[in-house]
Amino acid sequence: MDLNYTPEQQAFRAEIREWLADNVPEKPLLTLEGEEGFHQHVEWERKLASGNWGMVTWPKQYGGRGLDLIQWLIFEEEYWAAGAPLRANQNGIFLLGPTVMEYGTDEQKARFLTPMANGEVMWAQAWSEPDAGSDMAAITTKAVRDGDHYVITGQKTWSSRASFADWGFGLFRTEEGSKRHKGLSFILFDLNSPGITRRPIRQLHGEPGFAELFFDEVRVPAENMLAGQGEGWNVAMATAGFERGLMLRSPGRFQATAKRLADLYRANEENTSPATREAVTQAWMGTQAYAYNTYSVAAKILAGGKIGAEASLNKIFWSELDRSMNRSAMQLMGAAAELAKFADGSVNQWLDGYIFSLSGPIYAGSNEIQRNIIAERFLGLPRQGAG
Amino acid sequence: MEFLLSDDQLTLAEGVKDYLAGTHGPEVLRRLDEGSNRDPTIWQGLVEMGLPALLVPEDQDGLGLKLLDAALIAAECGRSCLAEPLVDTAFVAVPWLTAKGDIADLAPIVSGEKIVPLAHKINGWVADGDGASLQSVDPLRNLTVAPADATDDPHLLNLGALMSAAQLVGIADAMLEQAVEYAKVRKQFGQPIGAFQAVKHHLATATVALEFAKPVVWRAAQAMDDGIDSAPVHVSHAKLAAGDAALQMAETAIQVHGAMGYTYEVDLHFWMKRSWALIGAWGNRAFHMKRVDGGVIGGSLDIGPAHTFA
Ligand SMILES: Cc1cc2nc3c(=O)[nH]c(=O)nc-3n(C[C@H](O)[C@H](O)[C@H](O)COP(=O)(O)OP(=O)(O)OC[C@H]3O[C@@H](n4cnc5c(N)ncnc54)[C@H](O)[C@@H]3O)c2cc1C
Repeated sequence: MDLNYTPEQQAFRAEIREWLADNVPEKPLLTLEGEEGFHQHVEWERKLASGNWGMVTWPKQYGGRGLDLIQWLIFEEEYWAAGAPLRANQNGIFLLGPTVMEYGTDEQKARFLTPMANGEVMWAQAWSEPDAGSDMAAITTKAVRDGDHYVITGQKTWSSRASFADWGFGLFRTEEGSKRHKGLSFILFDLNSPGITRRPIRQLHGEPGFAELFFDEVRVPAENMLAGQGEGWNVAMATAGFERGLMLRSPGRFQATAKRLADLYRANEENTSPATREAVTQAWMGTQAYAYNTYSVAAKILAGGKIGAEASLNKIFWSELDRSMNRSAMQLMGAAAELAKFADGSVNQWLDGYIFSLSGPIYAGSNEIQRNIIAERFLGLPRQGAG
Repeated sequence: MEFLLSDDQLTLAEGVKDYLAGTHGPEVLRRLDEGSNRDPTIWQGLVEMGLPALLVPEDQDGLGLKLLDAALIAAECGRSCLAEPLVDTAFVAVPWLTAKGDIADLAPIVSGEKIVPLAHKINGWVADGDGASLQSVDPLRNLTVAPADATDDPHLLNLGALMSAAQLVGIADAMLEQAVEYAKVRKQFGQPIGAFQAVKHHLATATVALEFAKPVVWRAAQAMDDGIDSAPVHVSHAKLAAGDAALQMAETAIQVHGAMGYTYEVDLHFWMKRSWALIGAWGNRAFHMKRVDGGVIGGSLDIGPAHTFA
């Protein structure tokens, strides 16, 4: 064990810190879940790309810097410490990107990764259907081969930011009559294709951050399929692993929340109690534990290892930690907690944070499903019926 | 000694419950949200039921009922997510004004012409006031900036906290009902999600917290009715128990609803947001914890088995 950053790592930290100090917008952007705010965040993606910061771990030929996972964690720490905006293209760069890297052909990598790293094409995920949420293997939206195209018909839902995004990716049934995990394929599609209708759905906070997608004989070129026909489930599980594992939610984000919580406590010390104080201390301990775990997983991966069911542990840990930190902040704020904006006009970020944190235990595979996975695959307990 | 809600109390609360269930369903909340949040006909209906007069002394043409009666009705207002300022005006302002001797203000309240926005220092905002407006997470709450001369009267604070606690148990009941109904009809993996033990246990756990918050709230109301010295501690206990139970219920209900719960399209959001507002209102968690702490550790309260009610 060596817990010292190398001189190169330190130099890298200094470099990104300086760039962020010069470039992070002074005023917070509008919310990512609304159209105008989304476009502000896309501008920010492009700004990042202009400094070649789009996706530092990717190979240089695809718009990255060819850095390793430790540098990725350093990047993320600095990113969140600087209060930089949320990533408009998170579904692309954190989820689809690594999947394309693993399963894509060279042609697909060149075609999809570079514009992703450059902030040119924004991506949405399209897995869920009205009757297939936790039970994703129940999807019915079909993609029928027709010459050198697939013709997609059906419906997806809960697609985050799909009202504003450019492209989507998801799982479709390519084999007629196939059941469950079989006969599914992973397909990328242009959201502007003829036959796609997007219906925005207002999220809890009122912004249209979800979309329902209706496919009416949408023609998608066959070369947009990742891996082979019928191999979609395994590819999707890899994507889900990135979502639950260390890509989507790096520790820096939560460490920044814990720090803000400590600041909130200090600013309101007269309105606190020992329980509040303990909650704030717990927040720091939780985020540190998450960071240590992430560094150790990163080291394991760098040494050639893989993560499996541990990703489920990870997902439960960060989502419940995030909810508890934001809940503590709400409790500390008391009557001001319900205000969308304070009297001085500034946005109540804790309220936004709490609302968003409530979705953490739901998306990326609900925490109930994760607990089942941990119990069955990590602990080896017997399976109980379906699910 | 009889820790029991009387038939009269239950009948009254049941009547209000039925009335609100019939006239103030989720479709009304949606209509109000799309419009101006308040509807004089809803208010008029409440006035015709005599609710603003509930706590007004009989010699002032009121019904002269008690805080406990009002708390039961406040819970029903929570259950129906009532947006009209009935609880603030009739169950908080009326007993406060009466205690202060400001009886001149009571007649227009009884007749339904007057509502009383409450400006207390602890809140920083005033609900249904006339200052510069503030936006609440709850789309049906009309908040305004509190005036600089807001009072810090502890009696007002106790009444506000008590009635928030009472509304919160009703809100939690409503969220529980919605989550249970959803768990029965939503199917995944070929069965209702309510058949999964994980879902059952979530709902059962939140139910335990809620059922054990209710008697704390009724006890606090009775403590204020009886005017005992330790009433503030009991009110704080009630606010904590009801607030924690409602928060847990909201988190459970959204979890059971999955992504559906994270939308504005499902009714649940109205109740979740009202719960967040009332949990924060009239003293944060730490404020009430310190008051209970002062009784238990600070020694201002006799504790132990022989001191259940003293
Ligand atoms: C903020 C947010 C963003 C999202 N973004 C996207 C996106 O971009 N693209 C996309 O395709 N989807 C997206 N989703 C949808 C997400 O993938 C689903 O919400 C999730 O898979 C759960 O499905 P569901 O909502 O249908 O809930 P359900 O599956 O109906 O679950 C409801 C409840 O039942 C429980 N349950 C279900 N099955 C079991 C079981 N076997 N054992 C125990 N408990 C069970 C669940 O845990 C949950 O508590 C998003 C969701 C949210 C909240």
